[in-house]
Amino acid sequence: MAAPNLKNIIGRKKDAGSLMISFVEQYKSDISILDETGNWLAGKPPDDAWGFRVGVFCDEKISGWVTGNEKAVFVAEFLSFLLKKENDKKNLGTEVLHLYKEINLIFNFSEKLARSIEASSIAQITLEESMRVIRSNNGVVILWDEDSKHLNVIASQGNSFFGEEKVNDQREILLKIALHGQSDIISDTSSLAEAGLVSPDINSVIYAALKVNQRVMGAVILGSHEPGQYVAADLKLLITLALQSSSTIETALLYEKNLREVNEREEAMRLVYEVTGKFVPYEFIGALGHRVITDVRLGDQVEKIVTVLFSDIRDYTTISEQLTPEENFNFVSSFNERMGPIIRKNQGFINQYLGDAIMAIFPGNATHALTAAIEMQKAVQTLNENRSLLNKTPIKIGVGIHTGPLIMGITGDHERLDATTISDTVNIASRLENLTKHYKGNIILSEASLENITDPENFHCRHLGLVKLKGKENPLSIYECFSGTENPELQKKIATLPIFKRGMTGYLNKSFEEAYDEFHQVLQIHPEDLTTRLFVDNIKHFINQGVPENWTGVNEMHNK
Amino acid sequence: MNQKLLIVDDESHIRMLIEQTLEELEENGVDFFTAENGEQALEIIKKENPQLVFLDVMMPKMNGMEVCRRVKKELNMDDVFIVLLTAKGQELDRKKGQEVGADIYMTKPFDPESLLQKAKEVLGIPAS
Repeated sequence: MAAPNLKNIIGRKKDAGSLMISFVEQYKSDISILDETGNWLAGKPPDDAWGFRVGVFCDEKISGWVTGNEKAVFVAEFLSFLLKKENDKKNLGTEVLHLYKEINLIFNFSEKLARSIEASSIAQITLEESMRVIRSNNGVVILWDEDSKHLNVIASQGNSFFGEEKVNDQREILLKIALHGQSDIISDTSSLAEAGLVSPDINSVIYAALKVNQRVMGAVILGSHEPGQYVAADLKLLITLALQSSSTIETALLYEKNLREVNEREEAMRLVYEVTGKFVPYEFIGALGHRVITDVRLGDQVEKIVTVLFSDIRDYTTISEQLTPEENFNFVSSFNERMGPIIRKNQGFINQYLGDAIMAIFPGNATHALTAAIEMQKAVQTLNENRSLLNKTPIKIGVGIHTGPLIMGITGDHERLDATTISDTVNIASRLENLTKHYKGNIILSEASLENITDPENFHCRHLGLVKLKGKENPLSIYECFSGTENPELQKKIATLPIFKRGMTGYLNKSFEEAYDEFHQVLQIHPEDLTTRLFVDNIKHFINQGVPENWTGVNEMHNK
Repeated sequence: MNQKLLIVDDESHIRMLIEQTLEELEENGVDFFTAENGEQALEIIKKENPQLVFLDVMMPKMNGMEVCRRVKKELNMDDVFIVLLTAKGQELDRKKGQEVGADIYMTKPFDPESLLQKAKEVLGIPAS
């Protein structure tokens, strides 16, 4: 801004200058005050005859003249003094304004920083602000990652600065400057350009270290095409901005690190939770009224009406004899891998895998269990097709289904828990599965299950009479479901169903001749129906040996 | 006739700062006046009729709000553009400022650039 001049001082009312003028004019002295080009400013009109012409100085430059008598000297000195004072005041004012602008800048910068908690956006804000106030169009912020021992370019503007690979390659140069904790201006950028850290058209570089408690985190580096672009004031400014953003970046990095760790822990927990569901089904935990396995306690129990399904591979012992232990393991595993999904698809869950046997629980109604059993049979048929291609013997499964109350609970001791089911329902389902051997059927279900089925007309079942399981008091009414069999067997069983029914009615009424006729008819149509053959044999036995007095149609099982 | 500008603040460094910020206006023929308190401010306003007044709110004896109210509501001096200056965090005063008829409101620390631009705008001096 223009230096204060004589005209201003004289013009200002009440100031010393104008007081001086009034004094001079009052005294009617021969004094004239002129500006630097000789124009008359105040006092008497100048007279060339006057003896004195003295210069008024400011900063060693002429600012005006005083002409007149010997008093002119004094007046000129006084005016010089006033001018100097005015100049000092102006300079101070300029400096204070400059500081004030800095304060304002720092204030605004703080506000901007406070809006972000991410290290990369804080660095971006810092870079933008630095480039705005220190007028550059190229800059980078680099950060040192302690964990990976890697220098990261976390913000960048313009395209004259290095890429990240270069940064890590040429670390030594950076270590000597910014990463050493210094801040400075570089006027000779040739070594940086040679190392490929800046493009050759960058002729000035200014940098400030990002430090927290003497620990160097990184640096803010700006570049310009103009040589000698940056001055000491710029450096001061950059250092101030760097200082402010350092602690903010540090906090953001810590926050990010914490967040990462929390996420990792949560992920680990989630994985553990997922795995526990594979060992103790979620449905089991849920039935006990808990959301997670960690809420489970010794003694937790619940009683529910469920349908239990037992399945077993027929003659597994024989098959396993021909396999090595590893082959056995793989065989059972691949078998289970087919059956598991079928159970779950039908809204059941596997309570236990016991070797070649599967125990599944269906909390809904028995329809699901029966559907699952049929699908399992069909899956075995597909499996057998594959096996025959490999010249392996086909396998058969038996399935037993019963519906009744079941207690699910957590037993064991406090250091070793076990998810257990206790009930007769399980025993019965298991025994029913066993009966498939005897009755030559594939799927045997109890009357309780049949009654529990919502749409019995969709399934092909035939009544197999009553059975008294060993050790049990009450006889059980059982049924065979043959919906899972293949043609031609399926068609034949469907066709002979009414005849079989009549035969069974007769049998249970002890009308053995009639029963025999009916069953015989069945065998005419379907000679391979081994179940019917069984009843025919029973009838023959009764006819030959007589039937016990109190026989109520119940088949007594003497084996389990 | 020259345009006139009044700076009112009890803190001398603020007066100096505003003067310094608006320095170039002096070269555009604007006369600067300063006042340390509300009473002085009113006297100068009545006498000199400045076009633009920077008025600090927090002052002893008579505060800026009161000065503004008197100038705008009692004396009805509509052609005096009043800028109220207040510390950050006291922005609730903004509503009160509207009530007493202040033209605009600025917070301290003020941005010197904005202050200069606003002054030029009010006084009809083209931006550089």
